[in-house]
Amino acid sequence: MLQTSGLWLALATFLSIWWGHVGVRWLEAKSADIRPPMVALIIAGLILNLAALFAPNVTIGGVCSVVGIALWWDAFELVRQDRRVRHGHAPANPNNPRHARYLAEGKATLHDPLDREPSDPLVNVQPTAHRKPEIAS
Amino acid sequence: MMWEGLAIGLFSLGIIGFGFFWVIRMEYHLGYLWWPYPLLFGIAIIVLSLFVADAGWSALLGVTGASFIWGATELKEQAVRADLGWFPRNPKPKPAPPLVNIIRKIKAPHL
Repeated sequence: MLQTSGLWLALATFLSIWWGHVGVRWLEAKSADIRPPMVALIIAGLILNLAALFAPNVTIGGVCSVVGIALWWDAFELVRQDRRVRHGHAPANPNNPRHARYLAEGKATLHDPLDREPSDPLVNVQPTAHRKPEIAS
Repeated sequence: MMWEGLAIGLFSLGIIGFGFFWVIRMEYHLGYLWWPYPLLFGIAIIVLSLFVADAGWSALLGVTGASFIWGATELKEQAVRADLGWFPRNPKPKPAPPLVNIIRKIKAPHL
């Protein structure tokens, strides 16, 4: 009989990482203040890790803890995403007052700098110069 | 109390941290065109986890496999980060992966 514990944990891990990328970007872009979602993520992570301690089996315990720890990471990642936006390494949402402030300061950008194809790794290429940030009008 | 679940969660934190390390090194030395290989390696580990009797070890293999699949999706973005000068870029040409002509026809996945 097949052991499906690994499959469930793989799914939980991948979806947690996916949410950690896509969801955190969305949450940070929508939140005028990142502190409330940070607190919510920390509390949710704590609840899931406590649930893991009382889980009936390893699979459920593991899934709870993997998701719980990922949510803690995401709380920290909100701060890093805020920093990326501020420095023009991630697109700012002009409708978000916090991002609008960063755009007005002149360092943030409306473009996603990562939304491009990388250069061909099989040929010699010099790194491109730092892109000038776009300043909102 | 079920400490094994918490241990698996902590293991996931460590293996994802290791993922950041190997993605940066792999992109630097080999380039993002190698992305199918960690992807297939991750899938192979998850398939292997189905045949491990112990749920705990199977879980650890599952987490490891998923982290390699995620790493494969990070290679392309890491290459862009290096192009933008956010990470060091290897000035030497990188080795072509096996089946490079087929790989070039497939859009590299990213999250």
